[in-house]
Amino acid sequence: MLEFLRFHRVEIATLTLEHIWLVAVSMAIAVLVGVPAGILLTRKPRLREPVIGGANIVETIPSLALFGFLLSAPWLGARADRIAITALALYALLPIIRNTYVGITGVDAGVREAARGMGLTSRQMLWQVELPLSMSVILAGIRTATVLCIGIATIAAAIGAGGLGEFIFRGLAMVNDSLILAGAIPAAILALAADLGLGWLEARLRPLHA
Amino acid sequence: MDEPTIAFRGVTYRAQGRVLLGPLDLEVRRGEILILLGRSGSGKTTALKLINRLLEASEGTVLVDGRTTREWDVITLRRHIGYVIQEIGLFPHYTVERNVALVPRLLGRPETEVQERVDGMLRLVDLEPEEFRDRYPHQLSGGQRQRVGVARALAGDPKILLMDEPFGALDPLSRAELQQQFLEIQRRIRKTTVLVTHDVGEALLLADRIALLDGGKLLGIYSRAEFLESSDKPVAAYRAAWSGKLQFPGDDRHA
Repeated sequence: MLEFLRFHRVEIATLTLEHIWLVAVSMAIAVLVGVPAGILLTRKPRLREPVIGGANIVETIPSLALFGFLLSAPWLGARADRIAITALALYALLPIIRNTYVGITGVDAGVREAARGMGLTSRQMLWQVELPLSMSVILAGIRTATVLCIGIATIAAAIGAGGLGEFIFRGLAMVNDSLILAGAIPAAILALAADLGLGWLEARLRPLHA
Repeated sequence: MDEPTIAFRGVTYRAQGRVLLGPLDLEVRRGEILILLGRSGSGKTTALKLINRLLEASEGTVLVDGRTTREWDVITLRRHIGYVIQEIGLFPHYTVERNVALVPRLLGRPETEVQERVDGMLRLVDLEPEEFRDRYPHQLSGGQRQRVGVARALAGDPKILLMDEPFGALDPLSRAELQQQFLEIQRRIRKTTVLVTHDVGEALLLADRIALLDGGKLLGIYSRAEFLESSDKPVAAYRAAWSGKLQFPGDDRHA
């Protein structure tokens, strides 16, 4: 097994980097869309049901089906990595939107009322009160989404987008356990590392309790 | 006679079709402490929030310094009114210094002035600046936190102070201490104050005048002496509840 890993080390490193790249780009997009979307929901409660509902539906689509479905989309379908990134970002949206919404609406009512009473504008409220006090909850959502994406990204190999799934699919086709593990183990390590790292950040950003 | 600092003119407040307050006509004079006394649901907090436009009247107008609250820019209005609530609402991620400095900074005061102001306010509420500036709210006792809340409300030098059960969450000893301290502060700075409470003792201690509310209606306005002597039924009921002798089940001392 070790022999096998040593033999494939260059390929493992390449595919790991590819995997990280896929997840990082999708997460960046998901955060840039999801956090503002979550904030918007706190300002327009009427949007909450349709948006969270929509994100929930995306979450229930099997990943292989979503990848396949996007193959026929214009522009996106032209390149496998575009499809993979779009699908991963869609999966990451729900936890991010939901946690942003829950985090902000969970800010202590007394703090919120005092802030309004002192004449903070809606924008000042957001930047000085709501975001700092909900940062750890938002980050918990990002963390869940990241771990989820690292897992789902292995499926992206099925449409030729690369990543550690390459090993897994090749191993499945060749009935070779070593190959499957060469993909699965680094993916698991990545997921654990992301979980620990973001968990540490989340704990550091947890607001002091009144 | 001076024009009133705050005036309610035919104010009604409705939510979901139910009248929660009004019609209310009430004036608050410059520099006085007016107590809004009433039980839960009497509309006293609603009345308070109409002043800094956290709520808006369904009918009628609320005037602050002669202008209706709708004419005021709402942010400017709120920054010129100090607001203290029972939950205090200190920002948990801000030090005492940043909490107290909040409104002066929002008002764009120069930083040296802000610092002086923070120290001055902390001393006013009897907290040594050196010791308390850099603490976080969770490192303070309930009484200290409420003092910081008062310091923060006064830091922008507002003409008006609104207080919603400010001492309600404190233990009886801290409450008595803070009430006395507040009276002393008030004697020095003379802010027009509207204070909401359900505590008759507190009302009598702090009030220049007491406005008694019930079911959204104003039952009457009384000076302390008038309140103690009035034969109005609700006033008498409050007085009885307040001064009522302690009676324990099976206790026949009074028999």
